[in-house]
Amino acid sequence: MTKVESEFEGVHLLKGNFAAAYAARAARVQVVTAFPITPQTLIVEKISDLVDSGKMNCEFIRMESEHSVMAALVGASIAGARTYTGTSGQGLLYMAEPVHWAAGTRLPMVMSIASRGIAPPWNIWADFSDVMSQRDSGWLIQLNSTHQEIYDSVLMGYKITEDPEVMLPLMAAYGGFILSHTSKPVDMPPQSEIDSFLPEIPEKGWDHIFLDADRPMMHGALVMPGDFYQEFRMKIHLAQLRAKEKIKVVTKEFKEKFGRDYGNGLFYEYKTSDAEYIMINYGEIAKQMELTIDTLRNEGYNVGMINLRTYRPFPSEELIEKVKHAKILGVVDRATAFGSPTGGPVSSDVRAALQTSSETRNLSIIPFINGLGGRDVFPEEQREQFEILFHVLDKGEYPKNKDLMHATYWTGTIDRRST
Amino acid sequence: MTNAVQTKNDLINVTIHGRGGQGAITASNLLCECAFRAGFKDVLDIPKIGAERRGAPIQGFVRLSRVNEIKMYTGVRNADYTLVFDYTLLDIPSVVSSLSGIVLVNAPEFVNLDCIDPNLDVWIVDATGISMNNGLLIAGFPILNTLILGAFAKMTGMYSLDIIKDVYKARFGKNWEKNYIAAEQAYKSVKKVGRKI
Repeated sequence: MTKVESEFEGVHLLKGNFAAAYAARAARVQVVTAFPITPQTLIVEKISDLVDSGKMNCEFIRMESEHSVMAALVGASIAGARTYTGTSGQGLLYMAEPVHWAAGTRLPMVMSIASRGIAPPWNIWADFSDVMSQRDSGWLIQLNSTHQEIYDSVLMGYKITEDPEVMLPLMAAYGGFILSHTSKPVDMPPQSEIDSFLPEIPEKGWDHIFLDADRPMMHGALVMPGDFYQEFRMKIHLAQLRAKEKIKVVTKEFKEKFGRDYGNGLFYEYKTSDAEYIMINYGEIAKQMELTIDTLRNEGYNVGMINLRTYRPFPSEELIEKVKHAKILGVVDRATAFGSPTGGPVSSDVRAALQTSSETRNLSIIPFINGLGGRDVFPEEQREQFEILFHVLDKGEYPKNKDLMHATYWTGTIDRRST
Repeated sequence: MTNAVQTKNDLINVTIHGRGGQGAITASNLLCECAFRAGFKDVLDIPKIGAERRGAPIQGFVRLSRVNEIKMYTGVRNADYTLVFDYTLLDIPSVVSSLSGIVLVNAPEFVNLDCIDPNLDVWIVDATGISMNNGLLIAGFPILNTLILGAFAKMTGMYSLDIIKDVYKARFGKNWEKNYIAAEQAYKSVKKVGRKI
């Protein structure tokens, strides 16, 4: 036992939040701004520890609110720094105004989100309604299913966001507590390999925006309606669409270098190639759904799943290609979009996207909502979701004895008749 | 869940009942460390964290897998092993009804455990007594988790005392030895309780 183990390399048991913090360190981030909010707090606590003990070299700034966290990060990023922070739920909502500023300024930062339910009533457990609320902010939004993916997404994140063709910030979300506070083995590559994977941080700042006395530039200007406002918005949308290709390329490079496979980066498939019943799911309950798929396959059902990794940009064409052979589709949301066509954010998007192709236009799509506010989603409930698909396809009707609201099934709901 | 010691199974599920401040959450993490070092392929600790305070009943869960990736992220039902950090938790009906598999209770010998389903194997260890005898206190409260993991090692054969030593050295710095000595005493004194069926 003479070999000195490095805390930062090799396989270690890590809480999801620590995986995020260690990845930020491995990415050599230069500025971290921090404000504590459960269940994210362990990220910035860990970074604070690492900086204090000299194990991480970055400017760590404690702020007075999440709004200030993002405002300061915008400043640091404009100055050309590689920047990182984390937040959750209510903190992300409070941060919303400068969140939009970061995307509008085209700043390549990465933020980890330990997702939690939106209050009231107070809730601190897994629910992706917080990130979904920033759907239209211009940020790239990814959803993680495993501890390893939390780590890897931060590393890949910088390579995606700092690409001159993209230059948009990225938030990578994972279930609060269910991933943030649980530990699993996480494999951390040697620093030299990470260094050679990531782009170099440009010494004189980003190409389009900088703080440099030799190159004076005006920041935060007003544009009149006849000026470039509309064109700036178009460029953000175009950059989002370009990011799809960049995500694919980076995910492929990552697999070649580190051996870990995240599909095309936009989503990964589980037994979909011959599946008649396909579920679209995301987060850790998607990983867990693989168990139910194995069980149902053993029973002779042709079921499969698409685990959605990237919510923005939304992988419309890629999705159409993968589900066009299915007979029926389910979409599971651990989030709400009140008053939307389905009540769930991803299911509304899937419906809109599949409308654009004649090959998928007539596909039945059954939306599900489950696990809100961290409620356990057991395999029985995931099986029930598939059984609803079987019922709809075989009988041509919606099963009635469930919590069905406007054609969306809310599964795992407390039985009101018995309480 | 009918067989006794189930250490040959691929997936092993553990439920830990404790009180806030007794270190049950840390125990779930340390148990994962021990099992991982003992060669388990995948481990997952699942603390049920909420707004708990010192003394309130809390739960933690552990899933250990020898071969396959662990994909279950929910809490554990029907555990293969249940650890009870404090026998007074057995006054709570929901704790008693959730006991399953092989049960390890921190209790002195005189405690009556008749409330536990007679079909369950029960082991006891006087972790509180050992902890107090070793002066293993934090803010006046006896440390329990590091001892109970010693008892669990004996009960299951899942990992050795040497592994406990390595994990405590890595985790507790200069305090590893006190914790290890107490864990060793718990290892030696844990025993199966005769049940009347």
